[in-house]
Amino acid sequence: MALTTIAVGGRTAADRVREELTAGGGDAAGKAFQAALITCLGIALAIIVFLLYDVWGDASEVLPSRLSGLLSGQYTASAGTAGIFNALRGTFSIGAFTVLSFPIGIAAAVYLEEYAPPTRFTRLINVNIRNLAGVPSVVYGIFGLSILVERFGSFTGGATPIAAGITIAILVLPIVIITSAEAIRAVPRTLREGAFGLGATRWEVIRTQVLPYATPGVLTGTVLALARALGEAAPLLLVGAIGERLSDRVGFFDPEGLRKPFTALPIAITDWAKRPLNSGFFQNSAAAIVVLLAIVLVANSAAIVLRNRFEKKRG
Amino acid sequence: MQTKRVKWAAVAMVAGLALSACGEDDPVASDTTEAPGGTTGDATGETTGEPSGEAGTSEGEISITGSSTVAPISALVADEFNAAGSPATISVDDPGTGDGFALFCEGGADISDASRPIKQEEADACEAAGVEFVEIEVAFDGLTVMTNPANDAVECLTTADLYALVGPESEGFANWSDGQEIATALGSATELPDVPLDITAPGTESGTYDAFIELALGDGAEARIESGDITEDDAGTRSDYSSQADDNAIISGIEGSDTSFGWVGFAFAEGAGDAIKEIAVDGGDGCIEPSIETIADGSYPLSRSLYIYVNAANAEENSALAEYVDFYVQSSSLTDLVSQAGYVPLPDDRATAATERWTARTPGSDLLG
Repeated sequence: MALTTIAVGGRTAADRVREELTAGGGDAAGKAFQAALITCLGIALAIIVFLLYDVWGDASEVLPSRLSGLLSGQYTASAGTAGIFNALRGTFSIGAFTVLSFPIGIAAAVYLEEYAPPTRFTRLINVNIRNLAGVPSVVYGIFGLSILVERFGSFTGGATPIAAGITIAILVLPIVIITSAEAIRAVPRTLREGAFGLGATRWEVIRTQVLPYATPGVLTGTVLALARALGEAAPLLLVGAIGERLSDRVGFFDPEGLRKPFTALPIAITDWAKRPLNSGFFQNSAAAIVVLLAIVLVANSAAIVLRNRFEKKRG
Repeated sequence: MQTKRVKWAAVAMVAGLALSACGEDDPVASDTTEAPGGTTGDATGETTGEPSGEAGTSEGEISITGSSTVAPISALVADEFNAAGSPATISVDDPGTGDGFALFCEGGADISDASRPIKQEEADACEAAGVEFVEIEVAFDGLTVMTNPANDAVECLTTADLYALVGPESEGFANWSDGQEIATALGSATELPDVPLDITAPGTESGTYDAFIELALGDGAEARIESGDITEDDAGTRSDYSSQADDNAIISGIEGSDTSFGWVGFAFAEGAGDAIKEIAVDGGDGCIEPSIETIADGSYPLSRSLYIYVNAANAEENSALAEYVDFYVQSSSLTDLVSQAGYVPLPDDRATAATERWTARTPGSDLLG
């Protein structure tokens, strides 16, 4: 509180001023607004808790009793032994490609914010990037199919994790650029001007002031982008993810898998959820969702830890 | 149960939204590094009626695409094939019969699963691309016509009734009884109830849709074309119904209305249990309930054959593919695995014919119209 807190008769001056301004009647509209906000939050949380509870109800028939079988099993047709080994591998490779695209996106954001002259052309590019971020993911899937799978099939190997990974990386690139640019724009001008005043070059200012200050914001943005990337099923279907059964003998980190037919977690989840209800795949689907949530939780925590560390450094 | 799926989709989306960085930190990933695949070997423990045949030992990749109806059979055969010792990498995808043939005839797949015979234009595409194939019948499937268990007014429908309810002339019919006039004109004695007609059924991309037009609506459409009520171009279904690509969504559509109507593959309807009521169908020889027996002996009017089409040149080069199809057409697969997948095994003579057709690598289709 910026107001001086002189206690008069047990109340602060701030309280007395507020009382006089609101004529002692209290801030009814403000209270109502606050209550509405809390209700909204409550509804959102209740939905999530209910969904988790519901999924867990089905998943508990598979987890934890068959956890290792689920994680190490191939994507096969027998519900009792089917697993998500290849699906996890596919999702992991796609995630890796997406992470590889982050430096490109961040570099583009730095250019747009720090170097690009404020011309009509720059504005045009900015508007286009914003538009691209709103393009439905299926459209990127069609792009992936026609360009990466078909035109450059000799490079990607056709419907492989390479094609899927690049498709998803391109899908998230606009989001990475926009959120990184926002974070860079939020760096106080005084920081930059101070550094310039001390004789730093533009690159030195960016390296020592702008980027360190913007890192937490950039991290949050990229993590959200990756989140969207790994949950996408539609573009993967178009790029040719296998949606029924896949067995192979490729290890989890074996780069050979990059040139083979692939599947991914969201694909396995939707496929299994489409099977007949009493086939046992329903429970597998729920369990796969729980695994996905667990990955999310761990990765999100890692992102939060990283962000806090950078924020602390920033002081 | 159906609403659950919707909720899950939402959970998956929440999961997706929250998913975040750094796969390297992922403990799940490191857990699984010690299990480099090939774990399908465990599958034998689960399955009954394990085929006794030789699985073969060739390394190789086999890509299978096509009908989502046939895919469960091909996938189950693949499971058993791997379980019996084959190291082959087998992928089964299920975009639908039509899409499957499109890919197959470009040379993009080794096997095309099909819930109907190949069409002339598809065969032409195959020929143009130089793709020779062997057509193998692998199982029977029925189309189950169904309604809500609460709908007591309907027990049996003639194919004429089916045409009256979903044929091209039924566009706009909101009640079952709206179809009465056409049904009667086609010689049906059924009295259709005056209750809302809520149709949920497969869409045009599905082989099940094509099969329904042919098996259920074919006779009615022919009669109406002859009598001049419709033209050749009209044949098909009405377009104003809720079409669903997902069989569970069809089942839930049937559950969602007391006077619903729809159809799915026999295996799926059986799997739905009491959630739906199967309607007997009269194709001219009285009302027949769909069952394994009535489908196998051909008395149930809405039954069809399921096929696989194998790329002959690929089978020559890729011994894993040849071994897989060998395994597929042996009698234990064609009986036990087909039943296990929920379909109706071929009678012995047709199973033998299928095996011989493959052994002789008989090229081309016998079923082109």
